[in-house]
Amino acid sequence: MNLLAALGYAVFERAPDRSFQLLGTAPDWLPDRPIEHAFPFLEIFLPDAEEFWTNPGNRKTLYSDLWTQNELHFCAIAVAGEQKFLLIECAEQRFRQTQGFAQYAHEASLAREQIAKLTEAKSEFLARMSHEIRTPMNALLGMAELLSETPLNDEQREYVRVFRRAGDNLLNVINDILDFSKVEAGQIDLEKGEFNLARVIEEAIEIAGVRARARGLEIRSRIQPGVPARLVGDPGRLRQILLNLLGNATKFTDRGELAVLVEMSSPEVLHFAVSDTGIGIAVDRLATIFDSFSQAEASTTRKYGGTGLGLAISKRFVELMGGRIWAESTPGLGSTMHFTARFSAAGAPKPEAEGNAPVILRNRGSRILLADDSEENRFLIRGYLKDSGCIIDEVENGAQAVEQFKQGAYDVVLMDAEMPVLDGYSATREIRALGATPIFLLTAHALREARARGFEAGCTDYLTKPIKKATLLEAINKFVPAGDRIQVSVEAWLKPVVGGYLEKRRGDVRKLRAALDRGDYATIRTLGHQMSGTGGGYGFEPITEIGNVLEEAAQAGDAAQMRASIEDLDRYLNSVQVE
Amino acid sequence: MLKKKICMVGQFGVGKTSLVRRFVDSLFDERYLTTVGVKIDRKDVTVGSESVTLMLWDLAGEDDLAQLNVSHLRGASGYILVVDGCRAASLAKAVELQQRIAGQLGPLPFVLVLNKADLRDHWEVQDTAVSQHGWPTFETSAKAGNGVEEMFLALAGKLIE
Repeated sequence: MNLLAALGYAVFERAPDRSFQLLGTAPDWLPDRPIEHAFPFLEIFLPDAEEFWTNPGNRKTLYSDLWTQNELHFCAIAVAGEQKFLLIECAEQRFRQTQGFAQYAHEASLAREQIAKLTEAKSEFLARMSHEIRTPMNALLGMAELLSETPLNDEQREYVRVFRRAGDNLLNVINDILDFSKVEAGQIDLEKGEFNLARVIEEAIEIAGVRARARGLEIRSRIQPGVPARLVGDPGRLRQILLNLLGNATKFTDRGELAVLVEMSSPEVLHFAVSDTGIGIAVDRLATIFDSFSQAEASTTRKYGGTGLGLAISKRFVELMGGRIWAESTPGLGSTMHFTARFSAAGAPKPEAEGNAPVILRNRGSRILLADDSEENRFLIRGYLKDSGCIIDEVENGAQAVEQFKQGAYDVVLMDAEMPVLDGYSATREIRALGATPIFLLTAHALREARARGFEAGCTDYLTKPIKKATLLEAINKFVPAGDRIQVSVEAWLKPVVGGYLEKRRGDVRKLRAALDRGDYATIRTLGHQMSGTGGGYGFEPITEIGNVLEEAAQAGDAAQMRASIEDLDRYLNSVQVE
Repeated sequence: MLKKKICMVGQFGVGKTSLVRRFVDSLFDERYLTTVGVKIDRKDVTVGSESVTLMLWDLAGEDDLAQLNVSHLRGASGYILVVDGCRAASLAKAVELQQRIAGQLGPLPFVLVLNKADLRDHWEVQDTAVSQHGWPTFETSAKAGNGVEEMFLALAGKLIE
């Protein structure tokens, strides 16, 4: 029995009177008290042991759970047979093994919960940031678009052009930052289209050049002979990589110049080098600058700003393009960021589409219900549709939208997703229950979840803010059937003269076209002015609106707008029907 | 002297062992150590004019692999359902355990404890989700010590009524 004590067991024989008799030597951990008192755990094990001794079946032993008291770990074992024994084991080793396993499982489970929570928090943060940034961007870009449609002189037109392009680019950057989680998760898909390499480089230099020139830096570029002019790949991502590298180069260069060089590295692989004459990067940091949130020096963020995400995103894009990215630098003299990317050469260029033909709403005179709590956004949409002849009713929340919808026969509903009182998703669900009217959800959330939620609620399609005029009109054109006839009621006493009035306007269309062809804007202005003064009086509001636009466009010399308005007038005159 | 068995039950990692350690030894250890089986401690307290020995049975937290052995609560005068305020799932687990215990052992006095009050800003457990059960509830921090003694003594007081 000394052996068992040495192995960590105290052995007791269970007497018929249910008392316990220690056999052999007592291990040093065994208290000098009756075991029922020494080990409180036995109060739940002994009833089970008694049952087992009475009726052991095929089993020889019954083990208790492990228990801990006074920092020691024990297990009780009931042994059945001719004699009945109770063993108390000081089970340190078994305890450690069991605990190690359970601890591992628990820590892994807690880590999983933590990751799930962080992922959820990140999605939430992205959705919120997306909303917060896109809402004001929507107003900014929309106003720029509306501004570009007003009479402007050449200088102003150029400012607005740069304004819009910079805004568009900023939006792209925001989108890409929002996409960073997708980059991390490997969910970025590259587009595959034909593009002109020189134009992509030019655009990148044009945008980056604004800041570079402000710092007194020049950017030059060179495409080596042998590089195909037209390539197949993702021009947007290539431009983003170049912009990022040029942006960094500008940030870290006080004097000198920046250069972009492109050459063939091997068939179908292009080598790009963006070099600067800036502060350079220490050799030991060259490899880590492409890691997320990493900048060459901790003090860099303080001095130069930036998130440290740009190079990590660029690296991922380059890898997706089948290339690699690396840096060379001589501190004090400058750095060169290199990357390779795989592109195939495109065939002969397709003739480019003729200009940017403005999209025209086919469904003139539609009744539109617009629900958005933002005054700026409502103003914007109203502006987009001001020449369309549409009747727009505006409300500020989902509950009002549902009420208003019940009042009037609407052809289309534009529903902001995030609104007070009742949000756009719930309002969509309620309106959908009332009928099949197309509902467009206006959402600042670029995230897939928001779209899925919209469709689940029954929206027809979604429009992501900032919404462009063309996108809005195309969406309405696509889902709202174009009415062949626009019914207009005119007062009885006007009916005899209405036919002649409309016929005269049809004649105006011919005159307007001819005047435009010969550059006679004065005639267009006069005809526009006449129309604006008379249309409404006969009950044809769109003619007044088109007249106003024509007059202003003629004054500003905006030929594209004049052409669009003349076509609008023609279309309206062909559709209008007097009741 | 009067002796009362009190069991600590709840999901793993909610702080059952730490609450007992704080109450019995006035200590807290940042390291997480999984309890295996049962850990038994005792503490003599005075409630009103009554001296009571509390036998504290700290039962291994339930996880996906191991269920709570309800037979360990046999002979208990009451129990403490412990929830980690930072993990909403631990409240659901506590509700489930309460139902199982009541189903097998009948009505026993118990209190609900929302632990980790030092991390109150990160709590996921909603007040309404807790209050809907109408159970006697305490907020504690085994780390800072807040509310721990009050909670044990309140249950002890209930047990000797």
